[in-house]
This record gives sequence, structure tokens and C-alpha cells, in this order.
Amino acid sequence: MQSWRRKSLWLALLASWLLVLLEVFPLLHLAVPTRPRAGAPQGWPRWLDAELLQSFARPGELLEDGPQPPQALRGGSCNWGACFDTSKCRGGGLKVFVYPAAGPVSETHRRILASIEGSRYHTLSAAEACLLLLLSPDTPTGECDPVPPQWDGGRNHLVLSLHPAPCPRTFQRGQAMVAEASPTVDTFRPGFDVALPLLPEAHPLRGGAPGQLRQHSPRPGVALLALAEDRGRWHMAGTDFSACPWDGRCEQDRGPKQTHPGATLPNATFCLIPGRSPDALHFLQALQAGCIPVLLSPRWELPFSEVIDWTKAAIVADERLPLQVLTALQEMPLTRVLALRQQTQFLWDAYFSSVEKVIHTTLEIIQDRIFGASAHPSLLWNSPPGAILALPTFSPSPSDFPFYHLQQGSRPLGRFSALIWVGAPGQPPLKLIQAVAGSQHCAQILVLWSSEKPSPTRWPKTAVPLTVIDGHRKVDFAFVVWQSFPERMVGFLTWSHFWDEARGGWGYTAKRTNEFSMVLTSAAFYHRYYHTLFTHSLPKALRTLADEAPTCVDVLMNFLVASVTKLPPIKVPYGMWHQEARPPPLEPGGPGLRQEPQPAAQNCINQMAAGFGHMPLVSSRLRLDPVLFKDPVSVLRKKYRSLEKP
Amino acid sequence: MCASVKYNIRGPALIPRMKTKHRIYYITLFSIVLLGLIATGMFQFWPHSIESSSDWSVQKRSIRDVPVVRLPADSPVPERGDLSCRMHTCFDVYRCGFNPKNKIKVYIYSLKKYVDDAGVPVSSTISQEYNELLTAVSDSDYYTEDITRACLFIPSIDLLNQNALRVKETAQALAQLSRWDRGTNHLLFNMLPGGPPDYNTALDVPRDRALLAGGGFSTWTYRQGYDVSIPVYSPLSAEVDLPEKGPGPRRYFLLSSQMALHPEYREELAALQARHGEAALVLDKCTNLSEGIPAARKRCHKHQVFDYPQVLQEATFCVVLRGARLGQAVLSDVLRAGCVPVIIADSYILPFSEVLDWKRASVAVPEEKMPHVYSILQSIPQRQIEEMQRQARWFWEAYFQSIKAIALATLQIINDRIYPYAAISYEDWNDPPSVKWGSVSNPLFLPLIPPQSQGFTAIVLTYDRVESLFRVITEVSKVPSLSKLLVVWNNQNKNPPEDSLWPKIRVPLKVVRTAENKLSNRFFPYDEIETEAVLAIDDDIIMLTSDELQFGYEVWREFPDRLVGYPGRLHLWDHEMSKWKYESEWTNEVSMVLTGAAFYHKYFNYLYTYKMPGDIKNWVDAHMNCEDIAMNFLVANVTGKAVIKVTPRKKFKCPECTAIDGLSLDQTHMVERSECINKFASVFGTMPLKVVEHRADPVLYKDDFPEKLKSFPNIGSL
Repeated sequence: MQSWRRKSLWLALLASWLLVLLEVFPLLHLAVPTRPRAGAPQGWPRWLDAELLQSFARPGELLEDGPQPPQALRGGSCNWGACFDTSKCRGGGLKVFVYPAAGPVSETHRRILASIEGSRYHTLSAAEACLLLLLSPDTPTGECDPVPPQWDGGRNHLVLSLHPAPCPRTFQRGQAMVAEASPTVDTFRPGFDVALPLLPEAHPLRGGAPGQLRQHSPRPGVALLALAEDRGRWHMAGTDFSACPWDGRCEQDRGPKQTHPGATLPNATFCLIPGRSPDALHFLQALQAGCIPVLLSPRWELPFSEVIDWTKAAIVADERLPLQVLTALQEMPLTRVLALRQQTQFLWDAYFSSVEKVIHTTLEIIQDRIFGASAHPSLLWNSPPGAILALPTFSPSPSDFPFYHLQQGSRPLGRFSALIWVGAPGQPPLKLIQAVAGSQHCAQILVLWSSEKPSPTRWPKTAVPLTVIDGHRKVDFAFVVWQSFPERMVGFLTWSHFWDEARGGWGYTAKRTNEFSMVLTSAAFYHRYYHTLFTHSLPKALRTLADEAPTCVDVLMNFLVASVTKLPPIKVPYGMWHQEARPPPLEPGGPGLRQEPQPAAQNCINQMAAGFGHMPLVSSRLRLDPVLFKDPVSVLRKKYRSLEKP
Repeated sequence: MCASVKYNIRGPALIPRMKTKHRIYYITLFSIVLLGLIATGMFQFWPHSIESSSDWSVQKRSIRDVPVVRLPADSPVPERGDLSCRMHTCFDVYRCGFNPKNKIKVYIYSLKKYVDDAGVPVSSTISQEYNELLTAVSDSDYYTEDITRACLFIPSIDLLNQNALRVKETAQALAQLSRWDRGTNHLLFNMLPGGPPDYNTALDVPRDRALLAGGGFSTWTYRQGYDVSIPVYSPLSAEVDLPEKGPGPRRYFLLSSQMALHPEYREELAALQARHGEAALVLDKCTNLSEGIPAARKRCHKHQVFDYPQVLQEATFCVVLRGARLGQAVLSDVLRAGCVPVIIADSYILPFSEVLDWKRASVAVPEEKMPHVYSILQSIPQRQIEEMQRQARWFWEAYFQSIKAIALATLQIINDRIYPYAAISYEDWNDPPSVKWGSVSNPLFLPLIPPQSQGFTAIVLTYDRVESLFRVITEVSKVPSLSKLLVVWNNQNKNPPEDSLWPKIRVPLKVVRTAENKLSNRFFPYDEIETEAVLAIDDDIIMLTSDELQFGYEVWREFPDRLVGYPGRLHLWDHEMSKWKYESEWTNEVSMVLTGAAFYHKYFNYLYTYKMPGDIKNWVDAHMNCEDIAMNFLVANVTGKAVIKVTPRKKFKCPECTAIDGLSLDQTHMVERSECINKFASVFGTMPLKVVEHRADPVLYKDDFPEKLKSFPNIGSL
């Protein structure tokens, strides 16, 4: 009996333990966070009668919604289609007339006027212009202009104010587009107005200071954050974010911080910029410094937001979530940081570093609207060298330009140029030429005749253009090198530029030195796009200069390519030219070899530098040779033997 | 109680020897315990039983059974809607908070049926499309069941078609939602806004601060950066099977397929057709269709009948004119047919225009330019037209195809606003997969020549060849631009020599000890690397002259995004074996450089360590070989560019160590290296290496020029 009693007691105990265990397990079960299960059990129900549900629109409702007449303009509001008359721009493209200033003009005004007058858009007649530009006065003493003569409700007008206007708007902007610095988002009309950057008073007219970024990745130990303060100053914050330094409340206490009183450009990876309008000035500083702008709920429209993809260069964050923003900045992958940093520099250099660039970008945006479908694709605006230097008139397809081969991938084009190299003695490959010409994709055939024998005088008739070039392997090598660097100039003879202390100006020499910065265009490979750019984008003054002094053409071409690529040209060996005395075999009519530039030509480089606003040339210390160049191995192993001759 | 009775009856059989008094006592105790057990068991399995049976018990309910909510006539109506709303003024981000995945949480209110005082329904309960939309959201990663953790709320009140609801009462229904709070963080979907006669371009239901995902916004109603412009879904997307038709010239140049057009527009179109004959086709409603044929699927021109939407595939450009509403469902059909839409609707905010680049897929023509539309289109080159056709089709596939696609794109746009640092890029939104696949975005794309003053950091990987290491250190320290020397001590069994034994050099020398003897340690992004340029150098490379190394650094400055090395190697396709082959003969071409001594950007260390695809890193460490080939693959793949070989040097030879060159000549070594190339090419899924025929030499190399005037005279041995 006793034993049974004990047994049953044990049993009861056991059972209660079981009970406890069973109670605990579900609790454990609940403690484990529920992961999303397949089919989202608690989600939106799967209705039994879902099949019976009606469509949101009655049959036919989507197709016939009651025709309506064309809409009349709503007061004050404008958009491109309704308020700009593009018919005036037919033929000549964008022609800009600038109203002469009524009273005394400020220095900035003069600069803007000069940069428009020097551009390809300018016209002197208001009648033939398709855009009439009105500079809003920026001097406190200046008279606020009365309504201009051709105003017409503001149609086809652009009211441009680089600085916040001191006098209130004297007339309704009406149908006129407004290009102003950091417009507030509330009044800005997207796709119609143009948002400009807020420029400092002393912004250079041309050229402008290059970006401050000297290296791709942030230097170790550099401050992570800089915070915009009043009067264009910056406040450096270390990696300790607990000091929350941007809202001024906890500025006095913790956190490693040093204020640089004299420093105008921040030296940090990220620059925090509050959203109030006065802080827009900081935005350009950050761009120039290569400091990634972190805009906290900006109330102003970002400059040129219509075309520039700011998500590639800046971060627009919510000012109400500072800690979250900071955590995100700290944890941002290196790859993204690198990309953002580099984009700030590209954008600064392409669109913001001078008044001229800002004005040209504005006009380019308006021209793009006129062009419609043949405007710059987004890629051209948002990757080097930028839309001002990549003319959409050259080609609608980015892969025709020398700059975008990587981004475009190696997609085969619809058409190709066949380059047939004939080297071995024997019959010319007539069958091959005919076969190639028969291809539907072939655009043209170039025969590079490198054989010892003279090229035949008769060639087969082909449907596509056939060009025969008498060449040598030396040219081959240069061409092969150019294919690797399609955006650069590849040449044989080089010049180098230098700063002449004695004369206080630039000079250049053809003497052989350890470095070079220009190649002679008389024998050089470069992309045909640069011809288009040379003809259409250079200011008239510079081209006139080049026409007058033939040596200047070389200098100008090198300036142009260097200002686009920011890189030096490439030198390749050319065996025969090693003796300086020997003239190079150039085609008749070519400019010929100019060993030492004439004094007049020396002056040309200075005029070019003035015209560009800076010295774009970059020096290189290397030459690209064939892999086995002058190596002590059998000549038979070498592909480019002719280069070996002394 | 029932259970205990039952067990009471069974009791005697179980415990026969018990006294009745005790028996009752124990049996009661026992049954209580058992009852408890059963109860707990049931408690534990309760949620599971719901889940497993959810398919029939809770989930699949009938819409007729949803609870009915009666709205009193005087219940509050929200404000009309604030045109000045922006994310930072009207949206409560605090609800979204920190989120490691950078995903917003979306809550969906449960379905109710709203009736007014008289019991008349406010609207049809839910449409098929809105049900699909909510299902898509519910199935997505955004969905949360927890209303307290949600950042965005979607009412289950169907607002897709304004004509199907009563405006004031629907607004009252919105206002009584449990978290309405003036509509903050509420997202409303609407495709057909406005109603006769004036057809507003945004939903007329008063909605206060709620975000509106609307079809047919105009510039006057759209709140930039706050609202989302969405497409008007075309039910034909699901109804009709339309095989894809590739880009290219088509029978009609310009087609108009819309039925209800204002007579003024129709006149203009008729004039177009009169001028251009066959190339332009203007279709209209069919008047004499026989019974049973849906009018929506047929279009007519005079007496000719065309199938819709098939006819769209016969045209290059298709007109999308605005009707009473700006948003037209025909846009979706047109995109699907790969026809380039010609949008003639001034002030229309195109669907997802915040992220989609419509210039790539459509042509916008101002209404007053309608007479010139033909010549405008003719000026577009054929190549660009084909690009637009491809793009149009891609937009449909990605963002128009289904209600789900529309819903997810809308949420993604809002998500990107809230977590901007994790936003997806322009390319992600706009590039079709074929472009994304082929394009390379060089991580070091900015053309930049780093200043010489920055110098480089030499990283010497060593195991135990101390004597040779010290010679390398002494030699490398003679290079003017060296700024720091880092020795990676890869031997765990032996300590590095004492400080006093190391050579005294002019730059800082740091020794890093590794945890494991791995080849990958050479490419680790050590914090000690302060310069961008890194020189990786083996501990037995002593024959490189100071001039050679300095020149190598100068070359790297001109090509900071490439591997710059000395001996070059080549990969070749072996036609017989149908695989890649490693070549170390002296060829006219190079595609790789050895990293026994090579300059490169330190960013590639980061990539090698953290972003190397597949199991390549482990393979290298397991085989103790091919780390240099892996690096060559990685750099070429990410930059799309070739290596730069500098100076004529063909191999690293050193007097006392024949190991490397001896090994290189070894046949098995060659086989192993070839195997690496094949392995890596399969992991990368492509052969990223680029073959070039050039190397970099100093400008005056081997020129007839006084040696003492040359910058780098001491270059030349092989």
C-alpha cells in the first residue's frame, strides 16, 4: 500500500514536472522571433470568392473616358509643352539674345554676358532668337528693370539670376522660365524652371579651380564628417557621433572636434549640410572638396536636378533621423563611398567650377528640351566628360563616342568597319574583300597595305566604300594601342610644355625630354569625335587663333583632348624618327614637322591657356612599346619588326 | 469535467488494489494532472493548429462575410489634401526608424464593408485588382502583421476607380481607420481619378496628408517627391497572350488606336493620315461588330477590322493621347507591343517618372505640336528607335505587366526615399537586363593622376627567408617614392627577428603577423596601408632596380585603376583541348602580370578580401598557388581594362633562389596554372582578361640619347 502510495506520489510529481516543461516550451517557442513563413499565414486573406470579384473598371471604361477638348492654360502655372514656343528654334537650334542692361552692370553680369557672347548660342538679333535672356539685376544700387520690350507675357524668356535678387520681382514671371540659385521646392516648376547652384561672389569666369580630390579613396584617419556652419565655415567631427554636432544643441560638450577658422574647404569624407537655403553655398564647397554632401531635408531644389542624377554624388537624408543617417554613413560600403566621391569631382569639374560652365549647362538643358528625343541621354550627363563636352549632335548612340565603351558593355553594333591588313607578299585578298563587302552589316572597308609590293591599282567593286591605305607595321602598332585608349590621342612625335619663369608664361618645346604632354596631330590616331568637338564646341576666338598660326592647331587639339580626358596623350615609338634631322614621311599638304616652335607659336599656348581659363595639359613619363621591343631575342619572334630598326 | 468523469469510470480497471477512499483521492489528483496536461498540450499546439489548418479555416474566407461598419452621417471627414506636403513635412519617419535591412514595414488594414446610416454600401467592397495588389504587398518583404511596427499603412478601402465610390462617405471611412492620424504615413492607390464633368487629375476623396499613388497626375496636382505616379493598369495584360516581337521597322510608322478621342484631335489625326497615307493608321471604334465579340478587342479603319492589341505590334510609333483623364491604360498595351509611345498629354506626369527615364522609351510631343508629330518622329534615327522599342518593352515587363509589378515598384520608390543611402540606382531602374549584364562600371572611373608625393606602400609577404627578406627591404627602401614598408609575417611557428636586427631604413617599417599561413594574406586591406598605391613584392625579388621600381610607380600614377607589373603572362585558348592555357613564353602579347612585384590600388585589396566571387579565395589558399592570377582576373573583371606591363623584364630571377623560376618552368606548375585559369573563368562566368600588345617604357628608353640625361637610366635587364 505504502509503496503504491509512494509510487503514485512520484507519478504525480513526474506529471507535474511534465506539465511545467510543457508550459515552458511554448514560452520558449514564443521567444524565438517569428520569421516570415512561406505564404505569409497572417497576411492578406486568400478569398474564397476572389474569382468572382469585379475588375476596378467597367468594361470599356478604360477605353472611353469621355473626350475632352484641349485644356486651356491654368493661371500662373506653366510647363514646357504649353509655355515655350519651339517653332522659333527650328533650323538654327538654340539662339539666345541677351537684353542689354539698363543701368550700370556688375562684374558678375559682365562675366555672364561675356560667356554667352563667346558661346555658339549667341545672336545679336532679338527677332531670330528663340530664347530671350533677361539678367535680373544683382546690385543693390541697380535699377529694377522695367518689363522688357519683347516680353509677350514672358514667352520664350529666361530670367536668370545667379544671386538672390535684391529687389522684389517687379513683374509676374508669367510664362518666363526662371533660372535662379537654389530655388525653394515650393515655387520651382520642374521641367520648366532651371535650378542653379548658389555661387560665391568671386566665382571664376572660366576654367575655375579643379576639384580638390587628389586620390580616389579617402585617406585613412581623415574625419568622417564635416558640418556646415555659418559664413561658409566647416566644423570637423571625428568618428564619435554621440556629440550630434549638426543641430547645435550639444555642440559645446563631448566629441573630438577642431574648428579650422581659416579653412574654407572641408577635409572629410561626408559633409552634412542642413536644409535651409543659406546653406546651399556649402553644397558647392563640398563638391569641390570631394566631400560627399549629405543634405538634410533640403528645402531647395538641387542644381540642374533635371539632368544631373544627384543620387550618384550626394545623399539626401531626413534631418529627423540623425542617428540613423550617421549609422548608415558609417556602414556605407567602400565601393559606394568611392563612387560618390569621384562623382562629386566629375560634376564639379564638368558643370560648376566656373560661371561659364554654369551658364553653358543652363543653355544646354534648354537646348535638350528643344531637341526632345535627340537630347543628351542621361549617361552623357552623368559620366565623364559630361554633357557640355559630349555633343548629342554627333550621334544618338553613346557607344559611338570614345568615352562610354565600358558602361555600354561589349554589345556588338549593327554595323562594322572592316579593317583588312595585307602584309604577306602575294595576291591581294580580293575574295576576302568581296566576301566582307557582301555582309549586310559592313559599313566600310579599309585596306591597310603593308606589303613590300606596291598596292594594285584596281580593286573589286563593292557596295560599300573601300579605302586603301598604304601603311607600315609602325602604324599598325599605334592603331592597336589606340584601340585600348580610344579617348586619348596616340602619336609618334611629342612636345612638352613648361612654365617659363623668366617670361612668366607657358612655353613648349620639341626637344626630347623625359616627359611630354602633346602629340603632333600630323601623325596621330584619335577618335573622329574630336573633329566634331573641335568644330562645334570651341569658342570662335580660339579657332580663329588656330587658323592664323598653323602650329596652334596642334596645341589647340591637344588642349581640347586633354581638357576632355584630363589625361596625357600616348606616345608610341616610330623607328625612323629617332634621328631628329630626318623629316617624317607625312602626306603632302600636311603641316610638316615643326621641330622648334616659332616665337609667335610660343605665344599661342598662352592665349590658349587664357581661353581655356587653365592649363589642361598633363605630362606623361612613359612610352608604350611593343612587348618585345628591342629585347635581345630573335627578330623573327617579334610582331613589329620595323620598329626595331635604329 | 467530462474527461474526469470518463477517467473515473475507467479507474478501477487500472488500479484494482486500491481502497475506495484513497482511490477517489488519487484518481482525482491524477485526473487533474492529466487534465492539466491535456490543456497545456492543447495550449501548446493551438497556434500550430491554426497555421496548419489556415488554408481552410481563417485564410480562405468569403468576401461576403467581412464585418460591416456603419458610418454615421456626421462622422469626421479628413481635410482635402495638402498640396505643400513633402516627405520631411507630412511624413512621420520616426515610425520607420532604424532598420538593418533598410526596408520599410507595411501594414494592411483588414477588409471591412462600409455602409452609411441607411445601410447603403459606400462602395463595392473590393475590386479584383485591389485584392491582387494587397495580396502582392502581403506576400512581399515589406509586409508586417504588427501594426505597431509598421511605417506605412495601406487601407483596404478600394480607391482604384473614383467612379465606383461615394466620395464623402469613403473619406469618412478613411478617417475612422485606427491609425489614420490625419492620414500620416497612409498610402492610397488610385488609377482612375476624377469624374465628369471636370475630371480632376488626382483622387477627389479628401485624404489630408496621405500619400497618393495615382494614375494620371498632372504637374498641378502631383506633389514632387511625395506622391507616386503609377500606370493605369490594363486588364488586357493578363487576358491576352501576346508573344514578344523584337525591335525593327514595322508596317505602320505611326498608329493611333484610342477610341474615344476629342473630335478636334481626331481631325488632326485624320489630317496626318491624309498626308502620309499608308504609313499612318488611325483606328476607331467598330460600329458594326457582330454580337459576342468584345468591342475592346477590335479596332476599325473604315471597313477594315483589326485585332487589338495585336495591331500595335505592327507599328513603330503609337500615339497615346490624353482623354478626359491624363493617364491612359493604352500606354501599357503600347509598351507591351514594343511600340514607342508618342505621348501627347501636356503636363502629364508619366508613371514612375521619379525613377524611370522616359526619354529612353517614349517621345513626348506638346499638344500644340500635334500637326508636326510626323516630322518630329521622322527625325529620330533608326538605331535610336530600336533602342526605344527595346526599352518600351522592358518598362512594360518590369513595371506595367501586373498589378504586383506596379505595387512593388511603388513601394520601392517610397522605400528609397526613406533609406536614400540604400536606394537603387538609375541603372538598376532603367537598364534592361541585357545592358546590365554587359556593362562594366569601373570603381575608379575618375580620370585622376595621384600626386607623386603620396608615394606607395610596399608589402612584403614572407615566411622564413629572413636574409633574402632583409636584402629586399634594403633594396626597396632606396626607391624615392616609397613611403612605408609593411612586412607580412606568414609564419606562425616562428617569431619575426628582433627589432634591432632589421635593416635601418628611412621610412617606417611595420611587421604584421598573420593567424594562418595563407597566400591571401598578401592582399589583405591592412589598416597600416595609408597610401593608395601598393607595391606587392615577394621576399626574394632583389634584382629589380630602384629605377625600375620608381618608374613602375610613375606608370601606376598614370593608370591608377590597373595592375602594373613587370613580367607579363598570357592566356591562350587551346583549340585541341577546348580550354584555356597559361603561357609564360616570351610572346608579343600580355594579359596578366605577376604579383611577385606589382603596383595596384589598395582598393583591390578590399575587393580581393571581401568581394572575390565564388570560392576562388579558398581555392587559392588550398592550392597555395595562383593568387596572382586571381588578382588579375578580379581587376580585369571589375575595371574592364588590361594590365600594364612595365620595362622589358621577363622573369624574376635571383641568384640564390631558383625555386620560383625553376618551378615556373616545371611542367606540372604550368598545368596547375592553366587549371587555375579554367577554374577562375568558370567562376567568373566569362573570361575577363584583356590581351594587349604594348608595355610601358620610359619615354627615352633605348633612344639614341645621353644616358645621364635620362630619368630612369637603370632599366633594361631581363
